[in-house]
Amino acid sequence: MSNFVGLWALVRREMKRTMMVINQVIWPPLITTVLYIYVFGFSLGPRIKDVGGVPYVEFLLPGLVMFNVITSSYDETSSSMFQQRFMNSIQELLIAPLSYVEILVGFLAGSVLRGVVIGTLVMLLGFGLVHFVPRDVGTYLYFMVVTSLLFSSCGLIAGLLGKTFDNLAIINTFVISPLTFIGGIFSSSSMLPPALAKIANLNPMVYMIDGFRYSYTGGVEYGLFVDGLVVLVLALAALAAAFIMMQRGVNLRV
Amino acid sequence: MTAVDDLSFDVARGEFFGFLGPNGAGKTTTINAIVGLATFQSGSIEVFGHDVVRDFRAARARIGLSPQEFNFDRYLTVEEILLYQGGYYGMRMPQARARANELLERFELTDKRRVVPLMLSGGMKRRLSLARALMHEPQLLILDEPTAGMDVELRLELWEFLRNINAGGMTIVMTSHYLEEVEMLCNRIGIINEGKLVTLEEKSTLIASHGDASLQDVFLELVGRRTRV
Repeated sequence: MSNFVGLWALVRREMKRTMMVINQVIWPPLITTVLYIYVFGFSLGPRIKDVGGVPYVEFLLPGLVMFNVITSSYDETSSSMFQQRFMNSIQELLIAPLSYVEILVGFLAGSVLRGVVIGTLVMLLGFGLVHFVPRDVGTYLYFMVVTSLLFSSCGLIAGLLGKTFDNLAIINTFVISPLTFIGGIFSSSSMLPPALAKIANLNPMVYMIDGFRYSYTGGVEYGLFVDGLVVLVLALAALAAAFIMMQRGVNLRV
Repeated sequence: MTAVDDLSFDVARGEFFGFLGPNGAGKTTTINAIVGLATFQSGSIEVFGHDVVRDFRAARARIGLSPQEFNFDRYLTVEEILLYQGGYYGMRMPQARARANELLERFELTDKRRVVPLMLSGGMKRRLSLARALMHEPQLLILDEPTAGMDVELRLELWEFLRNINAGGMTIVMTSHYLEEVEMLCNRIGIINEGKLVTLEEKSTLIASHGDASLQDVFLELVGRRTRV
């Protein structure tokens, strides 16, 4: 027997938390998106020839949406889980008649919801500025949701393992942000020297952004199936790791 | 490291049970094992016939815990803490709202309903912790140092409240460093030391068997410590 009411309460709690820190989670992605589009899209973009058959600013926009989905999903679960561990309020959940699966699903659902909402707000902002919208809604939602699930799971793992707030920031600063920035937001692998392009193929972010960009431009570098498969396999692996850690109560139960 | 070893006891339905021991004796570990915060390598724990591992939903639904340390969700107000607590225990919103209102009134927190716990005094936080533990109408209330940080007046009120709910049929397990309150409230007492149960008796029998000494003297004798001056 499942506790759906309890699960929904946990999802609502995660959404409530997002709304309580709205100045940290909603406005920064929107403001930085405006700045990126202004500087790279409108100021420098016209000096760059079309990329993948579309103007540079249209090439840029999907990458910015995906970048915000990735960072907001990771931030949500990592900080929420870590704070609840740090304040011991996680005990409220651990002693409630909720299974570890329900707790896992609650955290991830709240985080994916935040990722999708922020991604959609950035998409709408981009539409307002660039007049460019996704054409393939199915692909748009697939990459947004599965990528968000991947980074929500990674965030949950970080939130469970982290010993300080600094630990959470280290992963974001030294792993997620650099890989995302060189993962195809600003440039296509065809713009890189051949040696660097081969290295870029090892960056998983490339596939997420490439597949997501397809939903806007209809063009893809690596193949939609390959992109979709890579992100799905990574998401399932991260989900499995988070599942095992919750099942074992890593840093939750003594 | 083994925190608790070879521990076995029953608490009868409707009993007010005092669980005592010096710091680090294993009281909180035992409580954590009952509520699901600690795992154990062997043995079993049942709450009203429900195994706390295999049948955890039924067992946990019957337990309310007021922990020693405050652990409120920092993003929620007093009222929301109760509402979400109800939600986690499967209460739908109208039912949870009615119960929260009842508890806010009972614990004199109605005018603080929109305040975050950070802004509450120690006594108010303790009352909120109790209200949260009672939100889903548990049959077993576990109180870990329930009167820590409370002034005398509030403590007397709480004793009266606990007596009343115990008289109404609720089973209560309480740990406390205030031995006079254990002596006043509890029917039966278990004393744990270094992870092992050293005695488990009716309060009157325990005290009588030690020459009608105070519970404090009995406690000090059983845990092998003497009063230091």
